[in-house]
Amino acid sequence: MTSRLPFIGACCCGLLLALAANLTLGADALPPAEVWAALFDFDETKYEHFVVLYQRLPRALIAIFVGAILACGGAVLQGLTRNPLASPSILGVHAGATLFVVAGVFLFNVALPWQGALAIAGGIFGFASCLFVTRLTGMANDPRGLALILSGAVLSMLYLSIANVLLLSSPSRRNEFLSWIAGNINHVYAERLYDFWWIGLAALAVLFVLARPLTLVVLGRDKAASAGVNVPLVMYLALAAVVISGSAAVAVCGPVGFVGLIVPHIVRPFAGAVFASALPANALLGAAVCLLADLTARTVAAPHILHTGVMMDLIGGVVFAVIVHRRYLTAGARKAV
Amino acid sequence: MQLTRAIDGRRIFRLRNGLKIRLADLSVFIGLLISTFLAAGFALSIGTTEMGPFEAYGALMQGPGNSDASFAIWDVRVPRILMGLMAGWCVALAGAMLQSLSQNPLADPGLLGLSQGSMVTVMVILVFLPAFPQTFLPFAALLGGLAVGAVLITILRGGQADGMAILLMGIAVETILSSVTSILILHSPPAVSQSLGDWMAGSLFRSSWDTLARFAPWFALSFPMILVLGHRLRSLDFGDQMAMALGEAIDWTKPAILIAAVLLTSAAVTAVGPLIFLGVMAPHLANFLAGASGRSRLVLSAMVGGLLVIAADTLTRGFAGEVALPAGLSIVVVGVPLFIITLRLRAFSRMRPR
Repeated sequence: MTSRLPFIGACCCGLLLALAANLTLGADALPPAEVWAALFDFDETKYEHFVVLYQRLPRALIAIFVGAILACGGAVLQGLTRNPLASPSILGVHAGATLFVVAGVFLFNVALPWQGALAIAGGIFGFASCLFVTRLTGMANDPRGLALILSGAVLSMLYLSIANVLLLSSPSRRNEFLSWIAGNINHVYAERLYDFWWIGLAALAVLFVLARPLTLVVLGRDKAASAGVNVPLVMYLALAAVVISGSAAVAVCGPVGFVGLIVPHIVRPFAGAVFASALPANALLGAAVCLLADLTARTVAAPHILHTGVMMDLIGGVVFAVIVHRRYLTAGARKAV
Repeated sequence: MQLTRAIDGRRIFRLRNGLKIRLADLSVFIGLLISTFLAAGFALSIGTTEMGPFEAYGALMQGPGNSDASFAIWDVRVPRILMGLMAGWCVALAGAMLQSLSQNPLADPGLLGLSQGSMVTVMVILVFLPAFPQTFLPFAALLGGLAVGAVLITILRGGQADGMAILLMGIAVETILSSVTSILILHSPPAVSQSLGDWMAGSLFRSSWDTLARFAPWFALSFPMILVLGHRLRSLDFGDQMAMALGEAIDWTKPAILIAAVLLTSAAVTAVGPLIFLGVMAPHLANFLAGASGRSRLVLSAMVGGLLVIAADTLTRGFAGEVALPAGLSIVVVGVPLFIITLRLRAFSRMRPR
């Protein structure tokens, strides 16, 4: 554990740097002293202070929330399914939550607070249907878990298409959700963050509490059981926490994919498989990655603002391709049973 | 032409020049033809201008005129139906070819990213070179599709890749390319991006006699392809070594088939946008209806493809009413469940004792 501390410290510094960069840089760069003043000595006559407090800070908070949750979720899923491609966005959680929220809003006109509940129901539905389809293909026991990823990807396509159909059905409200459905970190979603932050935080806390038994389960279920761990309970609790927190993230800013895929791969060589150190590192680094992605999305194509989800798709797609190539397509890859 | 029995006991028609057609394939062909006509007739009578099937038939027979009904029929619905048929035909054909080529029953031009490659190329041209002549768009799309094909082949070379892994790689490529298209849409002016958005989701909504005329030559090209490539695909189905033993020059057959498939895909993409899953569904359904091989498999798959597009389009128009739902979306909504059923059927056939 002690040997991991420097890495976690480095992650901490990275997060702070990313946060500082996110708050100071942008359409017009502000001096750090001005940002500091905006945060702690707010002057309502100054335009810059409004920009920092009401635009950049909410974006940064959303990015931290989403990044931390998705990275931890991805790390836990990759450990439990023993599949390097697993992450909440690929296993149907994101698409299911998106579909339920859009359906609730467009068909039943659900108010904001209940959208969180809908998102969680949708996330559970998406994940469960992904597992069900994997079972259907008859390849659930394939050690490489191809069927799991494929059914997740295909079902995600289906759910997102249905959500898009619903969007098209009501042009007047379409604009409100058009950027949300693409996965967008944006200050207008601060209200959603305010409503749903506690769900994500509670689920994250559950994961941190479970860190030790989870590590044992990932090392081997029999070993964990002999060490006195209630394996089914720990697994179900952890999966529920991952799905619920992922859904809460979707409820805030739509499906921002691939953070949960990439970050655990960056963290693993440094922090190892021990969740007690890997989870904090994932949370910190995930938040930092999201902050940087948000900053890039804001600045790279100025004056346009890209969607953070699109940015992540671009980077994540490349990483996905590399992992597929390494794991399934090189000569050394394990063959299917 | 005479009706005889083949070596395996199935009834076949033997034409004088040596061609053989199985009776089962022929009957499925006729059945598909009839259902296509029925679906087209049904599609003719559905839409915002209310009319019964007989009225629609009457307006169709009268020819183009000035009334509401004849406008709805002749300027909106007939081009749309024909376009759907032809695009579905081409994509399904491409899917069937790719499946034999890669010996992967799950290959699909959309899932492998070939359509996305064509689409990105077309979008880049539409956004940055608006003066580019529309007639040559399919060629540009072809280059894009071939580029993705080449990338996939280089990545996959040397590994003992199995079908699903190739599919995952295709999905990765597709993700990357589709985020590129999203960025392109954002960068284009609002007027362009609106029409791009429609087209990107695979809309039959824009089809007119002009787009039909541009697409028709590519559609016509598919017939010589079926004639020339059909029986070669059958030998490829047995595997590379068997195909070589059967006298197939796979060094040029395989690239030719890839180019043919990408050509059909990119023509369809240029006309109506990507139709994901169609290429994997249609051949499987055709296979389910009649276990054909060679040319008849291609023809039947293509017919199923056309029928599926019309059916999906009609269904969504019936349900969605006023909203113009892109055919690409409805194909995905119909296609994913069918794809899952396909996976399930594969599982069954694996479990069956041999």
